[in-house]
Amino acid sequence: MAEVITIESIHQQLCTEIETLLSLKAGSIKTDTDLTVLGIDSLRFVSLLLVIEQRFGVNLMKTGLTNEDTKTVRCLSAAVQSGRNA
Amino acid sequence: MAYGASRHHGIGVFSQAIIEVKGRLCEKTLRTALDQILARVPLLHGQMARDWHNLAPYWKVPPAARDVSIPLQVIDLAEREADRADQLFTDHGNAPFDADWQHARFLLIRIGQERSRLGVVFDHRLIDAFGAEVFFRLIDLTWQGRLDEFAPRIKQTEPAHADNWTRRFKSGQTLNRLHLRMKQLDVCHLTMPPGNAFWPNQFVHDSLTQDESAAFIRKAGEEISVPIVSPSATARAVLAVRKVLPSMSGTGTDYMLFTTANLRLPNQEWETFLFNHIAMLPYWLPAQSDMTAKEAAIELRDQFFDHMKKQIPFALDDAAALGRIVPLAIGGPMLRTMAGGRICSFYFACLRDAGFSGETFLGLPTVDLIHKPLALSPPGLNMCLTFFRGRFNLVVSYVEGAVSDYSAKRLMDEFKSSLLR
Repeated sequence: MAEVITIESIHQQLCTEIETLLSLKAGSIKTDTDLTVLGIDSLRFVSLLLVIEQRFGVNLMKTGLTNEDTKTVRCLSAAVQSGRNA
Repeated sequence: MAYGASRHHGIGVFSQAIIEVKGRLCEKTLRTALDQILARVPLLHGQMARDWHNLAPYWKVPPAARDVSIPLQVIDLAEREADRADQLFTDHGNAPFDADWQHARFLLIRIGQERSRLGVVFDHRLIDAFGAEVFFRLIDLTWQGRLDEFAPRIKQTEPAHADNWTRRFKSGQTLNRLHLRMKQLDVCHLTMPPGNAFWPNQFVHDSLTQDESAAFIRKAGEEISVPIVSPSATARAVLAVRKVLPSMSGTGTDYMLFTTANLRLPNQEWETFLFNHIAMLPYWLPAQSDMTAKEAAIELRDQFFDHMKKQIPFALDDAAALGRIVPLAIGGPMLRTMAGGRICSFYFACLRDAGFSGETFLGLPTVDLIHKPLALSPPGLNMCLTFFRGRFNLVVSYVEGAVSDYSAKRLMDEFKSSLLR
């Protein structure tokens, strides 16, 4: 039976992961923080996608990501949730 | 790489960045700012030295060097002479550094009263392209009287002789596997002019408008289903080379190129102002292929992902520390031997991060900031895509004799039009 992960848990894990990738203080990233102004470069963005694949079993490259999907943690979480439910 | 280039032609690896503003930049203001920066950052006049106790190289600042100022040459041109500016910057970029401890020099060209262009040629051992942009920011900050905001806590690299040997050894193993994969490639290449002389570079520059740039960024993301630009830009560079330089594709079965990846964290510009913080990642595409740009971009995206899964960029960073122990007399020739003397088909740089994006520089409105990286010999060709205030700048750098002026212009035209298609 697939592990049930709530959307809130996805939010929290993604916020923590982005803070780690960018060496930011815990709690810096909120669900609706505009990720586009953080200066996440392609290296770190791809690192994030790899973590998502390992942790949630979703390959967002294959499911497809748009610029809208990466605007905030909330949008990204929705893409992850959608991938898990597919 | 810098040592290999020095051994090859005695010049080294350097690059050039040029900022253009509206109005007339003041020589005295610039001179004062550079002197203040030098007093604050004596590393700018350091030298490579080696601690023979543990073999680790380090950057040493000899006391006498502190009295040497950063060169600033000024040329005033009338408006009707404006066309001379590009070649003057090219000549400035091709000239060798005069002394071991001069790693940056400036050329200010003022065109009439309405335009000024300030170029910095920098030693790639000490400064990379992003760092050169930060240098402009530092000059601007100094002019504003805010140099105190620059805290010169330059990020120290880990000593090569220190701990974490297990981690470094594993990084070395990761890279060895990559090198073995690369050895299987039959790399397409340009024919270099004969001899070991330094062959001057020439450059072709073009740019996209803000709308064109935004459209390409959107298209690149949609094309590979991930909002990053590099795979799509790199794919188009390869296809342009294949179309315009067909003689290259006959020399091997694979295009292999190195593309830049910025290892810096955001908001660490001051700490990473000096030294190199980029990884050069290898990519390859079949030479004889009718791959479309989208297919090539997806293939390169998958290779990028594979590099990241294997932690290649960080292994490169780790192994670079280890590699500093290797005496340069051995390390330089080793690099050429591994690549069979070919190194790669060409270098490609795609830099979306900007170290400087101000609307003004020394009080004058900024117009543009472009990079003119040196094309090493081999491979003889370098293509560069940089981003300044919403616009992409495209530069093709090539070694005289390896690529003709006509082909370089066609290559630029093909690359640009492929970005717009």
